[in-house]
Amino acid sequence: MNKEIVLSLKNVSYRYPDAAKDEYVLKNINYEFEKGKTYAIKGKSGSGKTTLLSLISGLEKKYEGEISYKDKKLSKMNLDDYRSQNVGIVFQSYNLLPHLTALENIILSMDISKVKADDKKCLAINLMEQVGLSKNMANRRILKLSGGEQQRIAIARSLSYNPEIILADEPTGNLDHDTETEILNIFSDLAHKQNKCVIIVTHSGNVCNLVDKVYELKKEN
Amino acid sequence: MYIIKNALVNIKRNKGRNILIALIIMVISAACAVTLAIRESAEKIITSYEEQNKIEATISLNRESIMKEFRDSNKSQEEMISAFNSIESVTEEDIINYGDSDYLESFYYTYDLSVNAKDIKEATDSLVKETTTTKTETTTKTEQFEGSSGGNRPGMPPSGGGSRTTTNRKTTTTQIEKIFNEKASAGAFNLIGYNSYDDMKDFISGNYVVTSGELSSDFESDTCVISEELATLNNLEVGSKITIVDPKDSTKTYELEVTGIYKENTDSSSNMKNMFTSSANKIITNINFVKKVLAGNSELNATITPTFIVKDADSVEKFTSEITEKGLSTYYQVTSNLETIESATESVKNVRIFATTFLLITLIIGGVVLVVINMINIRERKYEIGVLRTIGMKKSKVSLQFMFELLVVCLIALLMGAGIGSFTSVPVANSLLANEISNANSKYENINSNFGHRESLSDNQKEETKEESVETTEESSKTDENNTESTTSDKTETSSSKERKQPSFGIARVEQVDDINAVVNLKVLAELLGIGLLLTLIGSLASMIAISRFSPLTILKERS
Repeated sequence: MNKEIVLSLKNVSYRYPDAAKDEYVLKNINYEFEKGKTYAIKGKSGSGKTTLLSLISGLEKKYEGEISYKDKKLSKMNLDDYRSQNVGIVFQSYNLLPHLTALENIILSMDISKVKADDKKCLAINLMEQVGLSKNMANRRILKLSGGEQQRIAIARSLSYNPEIILADEPTGNLDHDTETEILNIFSDLAHKQNKCVIIVTHSGNVCNLVDKVYELKKEN
Repeated sequence: MYIIKNALVNIKRNKGRNILIALIIMVISAACAVTLAIRESAEKIITSYEEQNKIEATISLNRESIMKEFRDSNKSQEEMISAFNSIESVTEEDIINYGDSDYLESFYYTYDLSVNAKDIKEATDSLVKETTTTKTETTTKTEQFEGSSGGNRPGMPPSGGGSRTTTNRKTTTTQIEKIFNEKASAGAFNLIGYNSYDDMKDFISGNYVVTSGELSSDFESDTCVISEELATLNNLEVGSKITIVDPKDSTKTYELEVTGIYKENTDSSSNMKNMFTSSANKIITNINFVKKVLAGNSELNATITPTFIVKDADSVEKFTSEITEKGLSTYYQVTSNLETIESATESVKNVRIFATTFLLITLIIGGVVLVVINMINIRERKYEIGVLRTIGMKKSKVSLQFMFELLVVCLIALLMGAGIGSFTSVPVANSLLANEISNANSKYENINSNFGHRESLSDNQKEETKEESVETTEESSKTDENNTESTTSDKTETSSSKERKQPSFGIARVEQVDDINAVVNLKVLAELLGIGLLLTLIGSLASMIAISRFSPLTILKERS
């Protein structure tokens, strides 16, 4: 199978805007991410894992070095379009809109991403079923769902516009062990069955054991 | 589309806050509706007044300037009189030349010519002085009596003895002395020529009222109206003929038919100006007739008084400069009634200014309150903005969604506020305006009757009004039809051919009463809509700035 790199980081360094000149959170990071694989970015607290995820997801744009999505430099791309079409983000705290139902959250994401589908509702329900949620939950408000269910909705939302990269920031941090395993299986299936590139930021050893490749970040002195 | 859908969901979701915003906007819009309606009414009143009281300018001798010049040149009295007499009069050609101006709506002028008349006596409205003289006649009867003193000296009463009887007789004689106006010119009568009802200010103001017959609207016929005094004195009545005699050549005579008899309203004429003029001897006719008399004798001189109807206040000065450039002598000046008009509308203008200020203050306060509420709204919904931005929604679209939410709330509240506002303001405004219009209409009726046009013209006017309103309705209902234009123009033609030359008396006699409601409502609604949009924009501006400054990452981190 040909390896297809969807995301590459070349000499990426980052420091906070108010930090001293040589006080970097990330320094000279060189990573490559392929389609159809799961990755874990591991590190201790303060090692810059979430910051790296922010750079990859296009939420943070002031960095040194080069981040490329399929040979296109992120710095030259419209990051709103990049986030709404090429990369799906799953957060530890889910970041769903509580005033909307599960279904509405997924459909809103499709609308923002300009997904052209005749029946978005049906598509959204399919996605819910794909992440192990029943159709009955579609019209439930977010706050009426459990943490695991909310995380599945967040995953379904990130898949709603069929991105090639799924970024997950501590996706199982708030979940119990069984649910964690179930969620990791979903990610594994997304990479291996749907040929997505799944990048999980974590400090959990369990996650690291289940992914194809682990990058470890060490805290800069 | 999803932005609208999202916005509507959010409006429903944030009921409490949106009701608060709606209440604030409702109060603002009700206040604005009242203020706008008051402004509109004030505007209408000013316009109506200005339409009724046109800005008029006239040319008159600048006596101050003449006297100053004479004084400075140290002229003798004779020289001054001679110089004064040599000042050239303003001719009809001059007036027509001055009247051809872009700054004028129209102009007219009157001729005043002193003439005599055959077989009729002039009325004596001059002062009549009654003098009572009391004479006392004394008859003295002297009796001889003896006395000690010597002799009789003529003229001296006798002294000494004897007796004397004296009888006094009083005689009272009343003499009536007529003091004629010394300033009266060569002829006994003043032939006044008009070419329009508009210039007949004595009739418009009610100084003169036609009591019998009417003042002909045909300004080319040999007709006239005369005073009651003149008619009574000479047994003249409507239909009688009078013969005008050239004061400088009695062989030249001209015949005029009396079409009306006017009465001078003593209440309004009790001023010094009329006191010394032979107002009863005015023979009111048209310019053409006066010109005919003038053409018969080149020695005759008539006084021409022009009236220029100036388009607007700014044009007065421009017109003055223009006619000065055209060659108006420095001995003449242009005077206008601008100051009188401006001072008359000053109080209403003050109301308008007050209303505008109140409107601005309301808008500023409303705008500030909206911005504050919106800022609080944005802060409360920061998380939502963060999520939307994270999943790729553009800043502009997030702003648009917030703006749309505010716009919907604003429009609903605005309509409710406008409803409440119009409930209270429009009737007030209309009653103010209705008064104004009924005053104008009754003024028109009064003036019409001053010219002797009573029932007939009034009826004509009503008929015409009716016709016009029918026309308007038909016109509006048939706008899409091709034949509208021809129908309307046909009707207009018929109506204009039917009607006699209707006087305007410088009063806008338009059918305002029906129009006012529609105009006020539409205009106020349009202005309110503009205000609503402005408030939405101001309120949204705060959210736009906040949204553009928010970093989704920071928001989500704060949330975590």
